Parts: sequence; structure tokens; C-alpha cells
Amino acid sequence: MNWSLLFDSYVNVFSNFQVIGMTLLGALGGVLLGAIPGMTATMGVALLIPFSFGMDLISSIGLLLGIYCGGMYGGSISAILIHAPGTPSAAATLLDGYPMCQKGQAGRALSVAMFSSFCGGVLGALVMTFLSPIVAQMAMKFTSAEMLMLAFFGLSVIVSISGKSIAKGLISAFFGLLLATVGQDPTYGAKRFVFGFRPLLSGFAFIPTLIGLFAIAEVIAGIERIISGEEKQQKSDEKITSVLPDLKTIRQIWPNIISGGLIGTLIGAIPGAGGDIAVFVSYGFNKSSSKHPELWGTGIPNGVAATESANNGCSGGAMIPLLSLGVPGDAVTAILLGAFIMKGIQPGPMMYVNELPTVYRVFAALMLANLAMLIVGCIGVRFFAKIVSVDKKMLYPIILVVSLLGAFSINKNIFDVGVCVLFGVIGYLMNKFEFPLSPILLALILGPMCEQNFVRFVDVNNGNFWEILHRPIAIGFFVVSIATILFSIYNQQKINKAEARNKNKDKNNA
Amino acid sequence: MKKTQTKAFASLISSLILIAFEIWAYVQTLGFRVHKRAHVQPATFPQIMIYGMFIFTVILFVQSLIKVTRGMKENDPENEISASINPFKNSGVAAAMFVIVLCVLYTFLFDKLGYVLVSACISVIMMILIGKRDPKIIIPVSILVPLIMWLIFYKLLTVNIPMGVLQPLRDLVDKI
Repeated sequence: MNWSLLFDSYVNVFSNFQVIGMTLLGALGGVLLGAIPGMTATMGVALLIPFSFGMDLISSIGLLLGIYCGGMYGGSISAILIHAPGTPSAAATLLDGYPMCQKGQAGRALSVAMFSSFCGGVLGALVMTFLSPIVAQMAMKFTSAEMLMLAFFGLSVIVSISGKSIAKGLISAFFGLLLATVGQDPTYGAKRFVFGFRPLLSGFAFIPTLIGLFAIAEVIAGIERIISGEEKQQKSDEKITSVLPDLKTIRQIWPNIISGGLIGTLIGAIPGAGGDIAVFVSYGFNKSSSKHPELWGTGIPNGVAATESANNGCSGGAMIPLLSLGVPGDAVTAILLGAFIMKGIQPGPMMYVNELPTVYRVFAALMLANLAMLIVGCIGVRFFAKIVSVDKKMLYPIILVVSLLGAFSINKNIFDVGVCVLFGVIGYLMNKFEFPLSPILLALILGPMCEQNFVRFVDVNNGNFWEILHRPIAIGFFVVSIATILFSIYNQQKINKAEARNKNKDKNNA
Repeated sequence: MKKTQTKAFASLISSLILIAFEIWAYVQTLGFRVHKRAHVQPATFPQIMIYGMFIFTVILFVQSLIKVTRGMKENDPENEISASINPFKNSGVAAAMFVIVLCVLYTFLFDKLGYVLVSACISVIMMILIGKRDPKIIIPVSILVPLIMWLIFYKLLTVNIPMGVLQPLRDLVDKI
């Protein structure tokens, strides 16, 4: 590593006002876009890339990275405040973020999310800087066998997010995996569950499904609670004395931030596996290794920290294969690849030889983007926290019309609005009968990855699935997955017993 | 409390509905195209998922059946009163059903009437339904929110949102 060149690159980026301005602008846009359900960081980057045509390379990369990092954090704002993850990567944030908001700790949840996002992002950027060639080489050894087992590993997390009933959680997961097969099959193009309905050929779009399951279902349930007199207006009387979490909270969450950031970076470095997978893996891992797994999902900052550090860690991780191999790690880096090529630079191993100063400036720009996200977050946190004190009778109709617009805007397709409403009803009914929704989400993300790699692996090996036993990394993932499942079942039983004991105590005290 | 009001009974009924759904889905997979040379057929993966879903539905059915027939401990979470979905007995459920109908109508009218108008209408109806009565708040909020959202999406994000009968408004914005 050329340390003096690295230092010079940081100085160059951090003293360039145009780069700083563009990165701040990108972060602001990213946070706002991410906070709107249905608007993802990918969409933001794709929409704003034409505006970067006239800028120099680092300013345009700064703008795009600002949107990327800002969007990752922005998604958590709506997840925490209105139970509607703004981006798929924020889907796991609502597991603890929303209960924190319901407890009147919206400001705390937002500041933990912001701080963890920043730390996870910085961790990802550091790992990217120092380990990019090594991690990229390791990740590129992944073939269909390893990808299949990685998907299985992701699915093993379902047990830990299933809630009280593991059977109900697994039914939800298999239902989600079944939903993921709707449309044309990826290998032969055969129609499955289409019923002659053309828009179903491409299956259920992920974002409208997500918005339906969480935002629309919450609106319907909220209106039922208001009419039944069960809804209490939340007050934002929580005093936000500091926009950053206090020292006691930081001490409580730092192990989750570190592990989440590292998990996010590693998963982000694997092409095709992004923040949406990383957050659930990080949540499952941190919950399983916690001394008090029974508290997870009840609204603790650890849950928010574990997921938010993971999704921002991914941004650094996803840059690793992009820069060192020219292979994008996710959709945003695929667009960034286009931006590099547009500027006449071809990412890949030769970039480290021919364009080393540019590589180092990109490292610095990612660090600056995380800092810009923190600044925008610090300024906005007091304002965001006030959203919960808006009268629910006004807020629910607003959430409904904004969410349905978000669902429409993905493919500019009215069918997606219908999908969103359909899944809103499914989510409402599933919530009522205590079938968890998060496993469906995870299954929808991992289902296509699982099937495609399963078919590819079996085809390549002439129908012999057991050839997988000769793939040590795949076997490693499988063993870890089984261990995760067993440990999560053990944890869940402990949680159920503790809850029963507490109920008994409460009854005796009464 | 009657056994039929418990969560265990609700789980029992849900598992029966799910089994019916799984049988229906399995029958559908039998109609998928078959490729003679393929190692994995298009129906294979969905069928594996249906088997998985079926196994855990049966587990849920047996667990719930045992609890309903043999009785439960007082502190068993499945012994609590189940949520209602009867709109005739629960006004909250009736309101929720009404909102679902509104959402379905919204989907059908989105293209014809346009986003701003249909969103303003649904917002007004919903606010009145859930007890907001002040027209000074209802009308401006219901009109301004969709209008601002439309402007953001149309002008800043260049996403073309249907305007329906308010098409002249778009022409006006384009001129400005």
C-alpha cells in the first residue's frame, strides 16, 4: 500500500469544495429518497446519474456515493417511524426500530440508526481500503454451489425472526419462497401460477410487495385500532438533548455495530448478495449471540445497530469487487460501473496499476459520503422525530397515498399498485393471526437466488446434487446454517419459557 | 372463555385453510410445462416449497388440535382471545374492510381519474371515517400532499404519474 499517495488522495478529496458540496447534496437527496417507501438508493442513483455527466470523476462519484450512503440510512427513517421500510435494506430495522418508536423513543432509535450507519459505513470503507484485493479474490471463488448455500444460510436466519411460533415463521417463509416462483421460471421460461395474466409473467415486484406487507397492512390495522379505541396517539415529548446516542447506549451497542459492519462488508463483497440479505444475517447472528435474545424485537437499540451498521457496511463491501475485479457487487455499484466507464476508466485489476490515485480517491470519497450522511442525519434527526407526533388520523391517509405512489413509481405500472394492495390485505390478515411477515420478505429476496443456483448447480453436475459435498466453502456455509437453526430454536424456547415465567409472576403479583 | 375464541382454535382454522391452499397450489404445479432433458423441472422448486409449507402446516394443525382438545395452561399464549375478523361484531374490523374496498377502488380509478384527484378523494374519505372533522385541515392536507408528491416525482425525479382529468395541470406546470 502506498501510504503517502493514500494520504494525498484523502487531502485532495477533503479539501475540494466541489466534491464536498456534491457529496453533501447527494447525501441529502439520498436520505430524503430513502425515507420515501418505494424509492430506493438504486433508484436515486439511477435518476441522478445524468446530472453528474458534466462533473469531474470524483465529484460525480461523490454525488452518487452520497446518495448511496444517504439512501441506506434514509430507509431506516420510515421503518422506525411508520413501520414502512423506505428501502429493502431497512426491512430488518423495523423489527426493533418501530417498537422503540412505539415506546416513545423515536429520536433515540433514529440517532442509533444514524450513528450505526455511519460506523458501519466507515468500517466498510476501511475494510475496502485495506482488504479489497484479498476479499475480492475470496468472493470470486463462489460458484453456484456456494451461492446456493449462502442463500440457505440467509434462510436459516428465518428461525430467529419467526417470533413465538417457529412453525408459523417457517410457514411464512415457505409461502414467501412459493410467491418468489410466480412468473416465468428462470431457466426454461415456463409459466408458473400466471393464470394467463400477462403482468404476472415477471412475478411480484419486490418493492410493491414490501410496501404492501408493511406500510399498507399497518395503515389498515391502524385504522381498525383507531375505530376500536385501541390506538394511542404517540407524543414526541422525548427530549432529544443530543443528536448522537449517549455514551451508555454506545457502550451497549458497539459489539453489534462492529459485527454488523463486518457482516455487511463481507456479504456486500459477494456479487449478487446485498444489504437486504446482510441485515437479516446480521440481525440473526447478533440476536443468537446475545445474552438476552428475548429482548430482541421488543424495541432495543442493539437490534437497530446490528441492522443499520450491516446495510451501510455493504456499501464499502460492494465496492470491493467493483474496483478490484470490475464486477459490481449490487445494483448501485452496477450503475457506478457505468459512471466510471463513462469517464473513460475501466474498473478491474488493472485499475490498481494504471489508476491507483483514482482508486484511493474513490476510497476517500466513500469515507466523505459517510461523513456527509452523518452531518445530514444530525441536522435532520430532530425534525424526523417530530413526524410521530403528527395526528394519526391525518398520518394514515398520507402514508397510504405516498406508499401507493411509491409502489407505482418503481415500474410505472398500475398492476404494482394492485399487488401492493393485495399484499397489504395479506399482511393485515397474517398479522392478525400472528404469522410473522419478515420471513416472507427474506424468502422473496433469497428465493430466486436459491432456485437459480440450485438449477444451475444440478445442471452443471448432470443431475448429481451430492457433488456439493466436494465443495468445502459450501459445506462450511451448510454447517453454519444448521448450527444457526439449532441455536435459534434453543434461543426461542428459552424466550418462550422466560415469557411464561414472567406472565406467572405478573399474575401472582396481581 | 369458549375454546372457539382462543388463539389455538384460530391457528387450527388457519392451518385448515392453508392445507386447502397448498393442495390447490400443488394441483396447479402439475400443469406446468415439462422439459424432457431438464434435470430440474419448472415445477420442482415450487413443489419442494409446497412440501415444506405442508409439513409445517400439519405441525401447526397437530399442535393446535392437541391444545384445543386437551385444554391449555392458563399462561399459555395460545389460550388468549383470538383477533376477530367479523365486521358485524367489531366496528374496527368493519372500518378496516371499508379501507380495503377503498384501496381496491383506488387501484381501478388511479389511471382514469389520475393520482392527485383519486388520492385527495381517498384521503378525505379516510379522515372523515376515522374521526377527523375539521374541513380546514382535511381539505388542504388531502389536496396538498398528493399535489406536492406528484410535483416531486414529476419534476425532480422525472417519473410520469397519471393525471387523468387533471391533465391540464401538467400542461400548466410544463409551461411554467
